[in-house]
Amino acid sequence: MVDAADVELRNATYAWFVELGRAPSSAETAERVRSEPAAVRGGWRRLHEAHALVLDDAGELHMANPFSAVPTRHRVRAAGRSWWANCAWDAFGICAALHVDGCVESSCPDCGEAFAVEVRDGRPDDESLVFHCLVPAARWWEDIVFT
Amino acid sequence: MNLFRSEEHVERWLAGREAGATVTVATLAELAQAWWGDRLEPTWRPHTREQNQAILAGVGLTDEFWRLP
Repeated sequence: MVDAADVELRNATYAWFVELGRAPSSAETAERVRSEPAAVRGGWRRLHEAHALVLDDAGELHMANPFSAVPTRHRVRAAGRSWWANCAWDAFGICAALHVDGCVESSCPDCGEAFAVEVRDGRPDDESLVFHCLVPAARWWEDIVFT
Repeated sequence: MNLFRSEEHVERWLAGREAGATVTVATLAELAQAWWGDRLEPTWRPHTREQNQAILAGVGLTDEFWRLP
């Protein structure tokens, strides 16, 4: 069960992820919030179980949705920084979460063609592209990394 | 969940697998605004299933494919 302290930890984790442009480790986060790594990992575990973030097998961050801790096909440049996104939806989500214009860099899984979509006031400048979601919503969290 | 050059590219990539759902990138961007817009707010709280289903419906994603568990 996520409590107020877990939400506070989650908000601090997200804020630092944005600032760093990468995922902070549990040890870094513990230092940041003046706590112990085990306490951070415990809070992250509860947040993971509540689908508020996603941990890897070692208990470190894999996703702080929409941000990805690992390189993916989807890169977002905005506000002078850049982040990996978990998927195309999340790539637009990074601009939305930051409330800034930006550029979504991705590529077509079929032909490999790279594209850079400028996002201005939440709208893409290239509306010829399409978005495909393979997994039905009812099954997204059965394997969120695959989804 | 990927962006494709066109629906023809989606079909070729699927290579006979069952298709999911394809929407325009404009709809995707609109969905992302509603789904993720509060994610860094200090007042953020987890969305309920009902909130998320309403966000999907708000951009026209109402069929069975988009029904949350």
